[in-house]
Amino acid sequence: MTLATLVEGRELLETVAASVAAGLGVTFVFSVAIWGVARFADLSRNERPLAAAGAALAACLALVSTVGIVVVGIIAMTSK
Amino acid sequence: MSSDVILVIVVGTALAFDFTNGFHDTANVVATSISTGAARPHVAIALASLLNFAGAFISISVAATVANDVVNADVITPTIVFAGLIGAIAWNLITWSFGLPSSSSHALIGGVVGSAIAAAGFDAVIAEGLVGKVLIPALVAPVLAFAVAGLSIGLIYRVVGKQRPGTVTRGFKYGQIVSGGLLALAHGTNDAQKTMGVITLALIANGSLAAGADPPLWVIASAATAIALGTYSGGWRIIKTTGTRIIKMDTAQGFSSQGAGAAVILASTHFGFPLSTTHVINGGIMGAGAAKRFSAVRWGVAGNIVFAWVLTLPAAAAIGALAYGLTRVFGTSALGPVVVTLASLALIVAVFARRAERGAPVAASSG
Repeated sequence: MTLATLVEGRELLETVAASVAAGLGVTFVFSVAIWGVARFADLSRNERPLAAAGAALAACLALVSTVGIVVVGIIAMTSK
Repeated sequence: MSSDVILVIVVGTALAFDFTNGFHDTANVVATSISTGAARPHVAIALASLLNFAGAFISISVAATVANDVVNADVITPTIVFAGLIGAIAWNLITWSFGLPSSSSHALIGGVVGSAIAAAGFDAVIAEGLVGKVLIPALVAPVLAFAVAGLSIGLIYRVVGKQRPGTVTRGFKYGQIVSGGLLALAHGTNDAQKTMGVITLALIANGSLAAGADPPLWVIASAATAIALGTYSGGWRIIKTTGTRIIKMDTAQGFSSQGAGAAVILASTHFGFPLSTTHVINGGIMGAGAAKRFSAVRWGVAGNIVFAWVLTLPAAAAIGALAYGLTRVFGTSALGPVVVTLASLALIVAVFARRAERGAPVAASSG
């Protein structure tokens, strides 16, 4: 019996890929949401309403994406 | 009749183990949120308890692995499962007493493997399952959490590094409530299932369930309740100890370590890998710390974790084997498990009394 036959190679690889994708994906979109909120505050203070609206939109989209990724991730990972 | 008495003892012991698992692991799940001020202790613990309960219901892959893929269900008896549980509890108590951080999950699997070998030889162990589903993932998971948390914190600093610190800190505080919740949910999916798996194994061994059967609803509900109650009881002293041992981290690091831990545990649960959640969470914390400043991590603590990891499986296996031998001294009746249970309870009381006399702080030891 070799080590290769003992290790669930494909499943382990998929675990690694899913962990990296989910971990980095959520982090990235949530960071963009915070970036959007911070930029919105700064741009509003500097009286640049159009750019501020753009930052707010980016923040909203990123926040919705975060929630979406989390929900889809939980459903995908806990169903088999 | 005798086997039913043993089965009741096994179920009771398994649920007691599950309660202590939740009790110990509360620290791992909530310490990051509490230490960064993202959540108040009582709120964090109540939320973790609720999500641990919910998590226990949403998957049975890990329970199936523990029940069917680690030891050969055909040769397992309720007494073997009982002795395995005693091995796990005893090792947890020993490491707790010495302040060694260890894994309850590895102790549980080690205990059952040890008692199975003592009873039926090495044929009782399914090598493919033990190596492929337990040992290799146990090695990979903490390293993976370390890497994901490290990459995450790098990504965060790149995206929001030039923004006002106040807004960023507040934002990640809110984020930590979600990532902490996810971690608690992930913890429930993986850790509560190990107890479900052990009870299912005992039911199969007793002939109450067919081989390869899924855990019945009452097993899932009782395991979920035990781990949730254990979490809610929260080892406050353990949380305090863990809080001082963890690196001083900002909310972004807390978010990335919790997110990485949750991602790794949930992905592993999907494939039925029973992990040490303690090792995964600690791996994430160290990754988030090391990515910012390598020396921020207490590498001595990391060394202790690795040392305890290496020791846990064989030590719990040895105690499990010993417990099986002791049980068999009294024959195959229920007398053996009853005597060993009473002896174990007396030992637990003695250990607690000695600790209380010394007034020594309680160390984190979990899984």
